[in-house]
Amino acid sequence: MTWPVVEWYLQRITGALLVILLAAHFWVEHFMSEPLRRGELTYEVIRERIANPYWQAIDIAFLLVALYHGLSGLRNILLDYGRLGRRGARAATAALALVGMVWAYWGVEAFRNLR
Amino acid sequence: MSEDAARKLVEKYRWQFSGMLAWGVQRVTGLLLLLYLLLHVRTVHKLSEGPAAFDQAMAFFRHPVFKLLEIALLGTVILHALNGVRITLIDLGVGHQRHRQLFWIFALGAGALIFLAGAIPIFLASVLKVGT
Repeated sequence: MTWPVVEWYLQRITGALLVILLAAHFWVEHFMSEPLRRGELTYEVIRERIANPYWQAIDIAFLLVALYHGLSGLRNILLDYGRLGRRGARAATAALALVGMVWAYWGVEAFRNLR
Repeated sequence: MSEDAARKLVEKYRWQFSGMLAWGVQRVTGLLLLLYLLLHVRTVHKLSEGPAAFDQAMAFFRHPVFKLLEIALLGTVILHALNGVRITLIDLGVGHQRHRQLFWIFALGAGALIFLAGAIPIFLASVLKVGT
């Protein structure tokens, strides 16, 4: 399997995962408890849930999968028709990977003081 | 042009139209969702600054305008997700003869139903404030 084929599969596999994770996320943040159904998502509500390490793992995995899927999709758009050329493509890939890592770190770091 | 050739042309055009429209919808919604994800992480990061900072940020988003945007976000997600499922099914060779119908019926029809199931409760509770 060449790399573009792997990427093609990954985009579909992460997409399928996101359908499940996002449906769960939507339920968890909007409907799971009474305050949430009133649209009141507070620090305390999140702290209680995030105290469970499994929820932390799910949320972090969700963030990483979503960032990969989104940035990979953006890369597909940028590189379409070979419009950036070889060096441009490499530069765009590096830039997007960097954005992904910074954003992943930023997101994971949000849980720093939540325990 | 014979009637037969004309019909073939219309068929072909329709095929391209649905495919192109779905392709464009997937790109535009994808870009919007990525933009939202980046902004979303920015808000979630307020958690690290403690309860006051986070709850203040969330209070800002409790305005009905943001609740309407949230409902729009739900619609965007559903459109992208179901159209993505459709693309994956076609890639797998499932229903490639019927992908036009799949787009309209599945992505828009089922999508609209799921959208309403999520949007109506949010609209009632957070925009109209029923029961508070």
